[in-house]
Amino acid sequence: MARKAKLKVSTRLLRKKARRSSFSTGKQCRFCSSDAQEATLDYKNGSMLRGFITERCKILPSRISGNCARHQRALATEIKKARIMALLPFTSSHTL
Amino acid sequence: MSSVLRYEALILTVPELTADEASRLESQFEQTLTQHKANPISFERWGKYHLAYPVRNNDYGVYFLSRFEVTNKDGLQTLLNDLHTLFAVKNTELVMRHVICRLDANASLSYNRPDSLEEAPARDVDTFLKENKMTGIGGRGDRFRSGRDGRRRDDDQYEEAAIMEEVDQDQEEA
Repeated sequence: MARKAKLKVSTRLLRKKARRSSFSTGKQCRFCSSDAQEATLDYKNGSMLRGFITERCKILPSRISGNCARHQRALATEIKKARIMALLPFTSSHTL
Repeated sequence: MSSVLRYEALILTVPELTADEASRLESQFEQTLTQHKANPISFERWGKYHLAYPVRNNDYGVYFLSRFEVTNKDGLQTLLNDLHTLFAVKNTELVMRHVICRLDANASLSYNRPDSLEEAPARDVDTFLKENKMTGIGGRGDRFRSGRDGRRRDDDQYEEAAIMEEVDQDQEEA
């Protein structure tokens, strides 16, 4: 009688399965949590916007920041306005 | 739905802006608004700021935030065009950047902004050195500075060197 061949499952797939079945909650959009938080999303609030750019001054992707699509679009617009008004840098290496 | 539209204009001016020029800019701005039957709400001076990048070779700039409301929607586009002309053409030497945005009808007028250089507490040299864990002239860092040979002097070597310098001076005087 032929024995059933046991498929070898890679460690990467096992880890992926464990990660999906774990009880850890996903990232939450911080602007969806309350109206007060949403009101802080403004191009004048440079200190808050600095938390959503990388050290190279690129806009942080939503898969890292956890923002929802609607607020990510709004955030990107506000960051671009703040850059125009020199409240935020376009790049980390601005020269005269 | 309310028929009043609220707008705000953030203006970045050169850092050497005098009080007369600021008041002239404000009066011209309000005059343009009244010509188009718009009501000015506020005209605030934020203060002097260190810019995120140099604009027109200026590292610093002065921000002004003005808000106004428009009831006559027919002349709205003309008003916005006139404001752009006022900032970008008539006062091009004073105003470096400007942006005009529409506010939400039910949004509050409060906002957050970073502290300007004028609002930040003045720091003397000692505070700066203490915060950055640095020492000034005659301090620990100066005493333990490396000698000519590149090696660090400890206390005894430092004292010996000081005594030898005094002896040399006495000999020269004699």
